[in-house]
Amino acid sequence: MLSRSLTIWGAFCVCTLGVSGPLPGQEEPTQNRDEPSLPCPATDDASLRTFFVDQVWANVGAARCLNCHKAGGDAGDSRFVLLDPERAVEEERDRFLAVNQDQFLARTIDRDGGESRLLLKALGELEHGGEQVLERDSVEYRILLEWQRRLESPGNMDSPGIEASEPDDRESDSTAYFAGVTRLDDRQLLRRATLSLAGRLPTPAELAAVSTGEAAALDAVLDGVMTEESFYVRLREGFNDIFLFLGVDGNPDQTVISYEHFEQTRHWYQHHDLSHIADEDERRRAGYQLANDYRRAILEEPLWLIDHIVRDNRPFTEIVTADYIMVSPYTARGYGIFDELRERFADPEDPFEFIPVQLKALRGRNESENQESDTGFYPHAGVLSTFQYLSRYGTTETNRNRLRARMYYQHFLDVDVLELAARVSDAAAVTARFENPTMQAAECVVCHRTLDPVAGLFQDYWRHDPNFAIYGRRKEGWFTDMFAAGFEGEDLPADDRWRALAWLGERTSRDPRFARAMVGHAYYLLTGRRPMLPPTDLTDPLHESRRRAYLAQQRQIDLVTRRFIDSNFNFKEALKGWIDSDFYRADGLAAALESAEREAELIDLGIVRLLSPEQLERKIEAVFGQRWGRLTEQTAMLYGAIDSKEVTQRATDPSGAMGAIQRTLANDVACRHVALDFSRPAEERLLFAEVEPDVLPGDSAEADQRIRRTISHLHERILGRTDSPDSEEVARTYRLLSIILEDSRTRSQGEGREIYHCRQGLLREVPDPHYTVRAWRSVVTYLLRQPEFLYE
Amino acid sequence: MRRDFLKCCTAVGLGLAAPTFCSSERARASIEERDEPPEYGGPYYVVFNASGGWDTTYLMDPKGIDGINRLYTSDEIQIAGEHRFAPNQEHAQGGMSNEAFFAAYGDELLVLNGLDYSVNNHSPGARYMATGKLDSLAYPTFAALVAACQGASCPLAFLTFGNYSATGNLVAMSRVPYLPSLQRIANADSIEGNARSPYHEDFALERIEEALAERRSSRSDQPLLPRQERAENMLYAAQVNSKALKRITPFIPNEIPRQRLAQQAEIALASFKAGVCVSANLSIGQFDSHANNDADQMKLIPELLEGIDYVLRRAEELGIREQLIIVAQSEMGRTPNYNSGQGKDHWSIGSIMFLGPGIAGNRVVGGTDDGQFARPMDPTTLTAVDEGGIRVRPEHIHQSLRELAGIGEHEAAKRFPLAVPEQERLVGLWQGSSTGT
Repeated sequence: MLSRSLTIWGAFCVCTLGVSGPLPGQEEPTQNRDEPSLPCPATDDASLRTFFVDQVWANVGAARCLNCHKAGGDAGDSRFVLLDPERAVEEERDRFLAVNQDQFLARTIDRDGGESRLLLKALGELEHGGEQVLERDSVEYRILLEWQRRLESPGNMDSPGIEASEPDDRESDSTAYFAGVTRLDDRQLLRRATLSLAGRLPTPAELAAVSTGEAAALDAVLDGVMTEESFYVRLREGFNDIFLFLGVDGNPDQTVISYEHFEQTRHWYQHHDLSHIADEDERRRAGYQLANDYRRAILEEPLWLIDHIVRDNRPFTEIVTADYIMVSPYTARGYGIFDELRERFADPEDPFEFIPVQLKALRGRNESENQESDTGFYPHAGVLSTFQYLSRYGTTETNRNRLRARMYYQHFLDVDVLELAARVSDAAAVTARFENPTMQAAECVVCHRTLDPVAGLFQDYWRHDPNFAIYGRRKEGWFTDMFAAGFEGEDLPADDRWRALAWLGERTSRDPRFARAMVGHAYYLLTGRRPMLPPTDLTDPLHESRRRAYLAQQRQIDLVTRRFIDSNFNFKEALKGWIDSDFYRADGLAAALESAEREAELIDLGIVRLLSPEQLERKIEAVFGQRWGRLTEQTAMLYGAIDSKEVTQRATDPSGAMGAIQRTLANDVACRHVALDFSRPAEERLLFAEVEPDVLPGDSAEADQRIRRTISHLHERILGRTDSPDSEEVARTYRLLSIILEDSRTRSQGEGREIYHCRQGLLREVPDPHYTVRAWRSVVTYLLRQPEFLYE
Repeated sequence: MRRDFLKCCTAVGLGLAAPTFCSSERARASIEERDEPPEYGGPYYVVFNASGGWDTTYLMDPKGIDGINRLYTSDEIQIAGEHRFAPNQEHAQGGMSNEAFFAAYGDELLVLNGLDYSVNNHSPGARYMATGKLDSLAYPTFAALVAACQGASCPLAFLTFGNYSATGNLVAMSRVPYLPSLQRIANADSIEGNARSPYHEDFALERIEEALAERRSSRSDQPLLPRQERAENMLYAAQVNSKALKRITPFIPNEIPRQRLAQQAEIALASFKAGVCVSANLSIGQFDSHANNDADQMKLIPELLEGIDYVLRRAEELGIREQLIIVAQSEMGRTPNYNSGQGKDHWSIGSIMFLGPGIAGNRVVGGTDDGQFARPMDPTTLTAVDEGGIRVRPEHIHQSLRELAGIGEHEAAKRFPLAVPEQERLVGLWQGSSTGT
């Protein structure tokens, strides 16, 4: 909890910073001795503390002040320097907030002309580098006024128009947040997890194991799932959604493996000996396949690096610190290192067998293009220094690596640098007023002070046409009209320039934001969406509810992050941390919501993820033993897939076009599998082990029971629902089957067998004189169109 | 019943996806809501996005002084009616020249100059221009909002081909990247889309739909998490409404046009004509001309104008031209000076163009000064003024667009207020007779 000490002198006081630990750039708060200070309340007052954290810090300090008023920020040398709680490890966060509270307190009671300097500066009415940041009629300013009022009248905590949760609420929020929310049991949870992670249904043994209810049992089963190849397929797919490596422009044998440094080897496939293939057409096709596999392997290299780190339980920090890349026999040929690696490959002709390798420092066609290196090796920095990352996020003469820096912050620290910029009263005028706005204008500096030093760390990758080169230094030296290369206030030492990205990677891995960002990636993999952003619209009447939702999720992120760090950054633990959480188990409500406030609190709760085309294909395979195979290429794009280039966000809601595809999918998958399943021996069937086509509803009590048990089985297999044979859900499906059979007697125009399209590939003929096969097909179609199948 | 239900649903968009408070109506109505939705008859909205930041001084806000433009001087500025525009006939690389565009459409065109984007970055700028709200990720784009308000049950209510496309959870976003894709989805209950080869006999399909509706009705009685509630509503709406897609097939052209905007336009226009779409975001990128500004802008501005021209001509052929409202915009402008790479960097002042029913053309409002800075605008006369006035920002534009579309008081719009003070509303923007400077 927060702690601090105060010195109180009579009716007035001077507050000193009683918080242990250094405060960068801090000076003793100055007091205008001619001005009477405001009475200083006891700052260990819980209500005041809560108000500071929930209102002043959340809505003003973090949102409007911190960008500049921090070490390394544009106002880092002012007397008002704040600490970023996001950069604190969990146990330090309270201390950081306490420091910030003291800073706000000191500046609020510091007066000028009888008015608080803090409030005056916020309005731009006192000299302030950031000029005016708040409007007098804004909610933020009213919060500061209320803060001031509370300092002046510590006994009166009534707050007209501005509410803060009671201190005790925050302690019990987690329990309160999930009140009335129903959760999946362990068996249901396992189905969700195995489908998500490995695209398969849980085995009976796994279900039995988790049925004990012991947490360790679920943990052990998940450990097993995360050794399966299909898990790594999903892992690579998920991380491509994040990094978009597959969207590198052009042919990667040119735009990733560049001419300048791999001129002699990058097109090895054009000369590869395929003479053992006698047929010319076949040889040509083999050549195409070779090139395609090579290009795909190049693009996938960084994804296999992530795969390698996770598979071997290596610290996930290696995605920014690994001193190696992954190469396959094909990509090794492109780099010209295949011969020295040949013996390390299990199959030297497998394009997708990847091994870790440290590249030697690059050698250019001209000596001037040789890479500087103190060790003789390429200065790897995990994903960050891969040619794929540098090519996917290229640069231009005027962009000056700022795109790369921006993506770095987004990918590895979960910071959207562009969002640091607030509205500017007249951005054009600001731009014109300064000779070098990015270093002089406060409105610009707020971003560029953060962004440009990191951009400078990419300075040795200064070639703008990746077809020609990616590595290469700027002839004139790096730009001097930008903030110098470094990271968050720390300059890059000259001796580390040759390994600037590795230097950045080391600092990144130690930054508390990194672990939280990776936990956010784990959440994305499991849910298809990013963790919530803090609500910023203070005029929103549901703001407080949205903030409670945000804080509830942040508490879970804290827990998962702790588990992730304690496991030495094992990414599997981050995944398990989420799976084991109430956020992943949440599956419904015990009672209807009764207020808009509660609805706003729960607005983002529950996985409820529309399956992507790839996930849907895997689920169809898990349930029916075979993929549909049609959710590819254009149809996949229509169903919300990404191409990693132009379309980089997956669809989250079904459009009418997607609804049409769902109808086709339900029709066609049922068509392919119902008669086929009946054509198998009963003991080998996936769907209809208990019934034959001559078992009709109403024939006998036993027939009805078998039909109901079959429906119950279909519900479980296709929908993941546990519906007993006498449940209303099963009854509904039973009625569907029955009424179609009844209708068929008078309305069917068909023959006594399945339609032609649906009787292809049968293992034996399946007559359908009673229409039961077609009626069961209707049942399966009906089930495949339901949300429990199409969503996760 | 259907009318009440739709009213309830469209109060917040979502097609058939009703909010919690509509559950009882939904429960009663869902069994009846198995048929395809009615045709939407317009108006249709097309938002063209010049993605990356266009150079307005090479289009509708010409300068030709102080080195702002290297391809023309101020005395070469062209005039068509009230419009002043940059000459580019000699420099245009393909597409449609400014001269041809203003000659063809100047009488219908409303231009607003001196728009203050307020930011200099692509991402917030694109969001701000698309939604009218800078500091929220939750707001829908205008195209999504108008689709939700006017035709949420259309299966492709909101089509997008790029640019910022948030929906505010009001309506599903549809991406149909390829023209042939429309054919694939037109007859979803038939084998290979062949209407003569249905998967199920009619009576069986009817029973499936009934069972789905009954189940949906039953689910509505159960308490669900908001995400579940919304997802189930969206899913049901998507499947039911998709039946209407078969109306598109007669309007799918046999030949696919070569130009990228024309390809997008054909998909949008076929969808409009079939009554299954309300709005579309059309987009071309690469306007971000940090290097070689003039060469890039001379290629891209004509391409953009050619795209607008294509849409209008094809809409005429399809008989929906009179129902078509066009907005042409970008997320930022370009600096009045060239950088060392002959490019122009980001500039927070720019312009926007409108055309369509309800919009009086041959008008220019607002303005910039000789340095390409925004001049304040008197919101009652829409003229640029030296003293007083307001800085016209995206929220002012969106407030007016909502009024034009008649959705300002729609529940869905009210959920995303723009907070434009009454005294700052642009009086008579669509029908006034003001001319800016």
